Amino acid sequence: MLDVALVSLIQDMSEKAGVEGTIQYWLRVGENLARRMGKEAYMGWPSFNVALREGRTAFSIEGEVTALTDLAITDVDGDVVGYIYALRECVFNPTITRIRYSVGEVPEADRLVAEEYNNSIQDTAVCNFCVIHQKFREEVAKNITVAGQQLECLQLADRGFTGETKIASDSLKKIGINEEYVRSLLRNYACVYAIIMHGARLRGEEEEA
Amino acid sequence: MRKKELVKDNPLVDVAAYLFLEDIADKQGAAGMNTYLMSLAAALARSMPEEEYDSWDSFVEALKNGDSALSTFEDVEMPTKHCVVTTESPFLRGWQEYTKRIGNFASIHYEVAEYYNSMVKPGAIDSQDIIIQTYRSEMAKRIRVEGKQLRVAHIATVAPDGTKKVAPEEWLPILLEKAGITQTMLNMIMRNNASVWIVYTE
Repeated sequence: MLDVALVSLIQDMSEKAGVEGTIQYWLRVGENLARRMGKEAYMGWPSFNVALREGRTAFSIEGEVTALTDLAITDVDGDVVGYIYALRECVFNPTITRIRYSVGEVPEADRLVAEEYNNSIQDTAVCNFCVIHQKFREEVAKNITVAGQQLECLQLADRGFTGETKIASDSLKKIGINEEYVRSLLRNYACVYAIIMHGARLRGEEEEA
Repeated sequence: MRKKELVKDNPLVDVAAYLFLEDIADKQGAAGMNTYLMSLAAALARSMPEEEYDSWDSFVEALKNGDSALSTFEDVEMPTKHCVVTTESPFLRGWQEYTKRIGNFASIHYEVAEYYNSMVKPGAIDSQDIIIQTYRSEMAKRIRVEGKQLRVAHIATVAPDGTKKVAPEEWLPILLEKAGITQTMLNMIMRNNASVWIVYTE
């Protein structure tokens, strides 16, 4: 119920504080949520991936996350520095469904907030809630270490309730993953992201340089 | 759409919403948070379509089936024609996820309820009660049964941790009479349900 109530307020908030104001609010909520969940440390990628599978990491709050372990991300030396992860269902989908069958329609501000975020921050949002949970992931990654190294999260692709997709080409180039491959992942997943070791010398970055 | 699917919520969205409310409380205190919670619930009720029923029985049927906006977010049972029992708090999953992932439910959620109890009406244990009770009251204003406006009154609420809050002693006999239940029945209902409230028209 709280989620539907909050969405009914987005319109009001956006009219009073502007869509930029709503984005700032949501970014802060994402940051606060990550901060409140605390720090985590793992011996290596296998232990992190097991923790993720068992729902023990902060990332698991979003729902069923799959570590695509066949898609290891390697650095210039060929060492594994991260993996690609995929969320089965968009965190906002149940809320949208509930809004559809309780209120009737999602407020216009939902689209406006997403558009403004895409124009001013990064072109990866398909709904207003992407603002919160994409920021949440970025901040959560900073609170987790694997083999003593801080992590970093890169948003790669997502699919909205109506089928609209967003692909972050720059991030894909950075980690050296084919865009069409990630697009095919969206047939079965709603949101795809990479978790890598912060500061890793990625192949894609080196090639670009 | 089956009602159960509507009741299911996403923990991340709910936990984020709690933190959003706490962020407001940091800036505006319990009074500001109370205002915000009430306007949040009122805005939600206003966004719902109005309802009208020809008879009390058809309203009761809609309420029990979750067809009325008054029970869209809750699973309800009706031991009598005026007594409504919410079997599970609509916030339960979010609260459980919050306590699992974040820790103790922040004290501001209880402080704001104390403010609400002293300034608005007694009946809340935490911020969640303010939202649901305000929503029910505001939604009732948008429902007419046999041409009369529906009214809602709250008898008791039970928090996810088992804490109970019952209406003040001086109000209780009147509320129980309207509900058509006894004090003993109320105690029995509270053992394994989330809240007890009544619906009536003047």
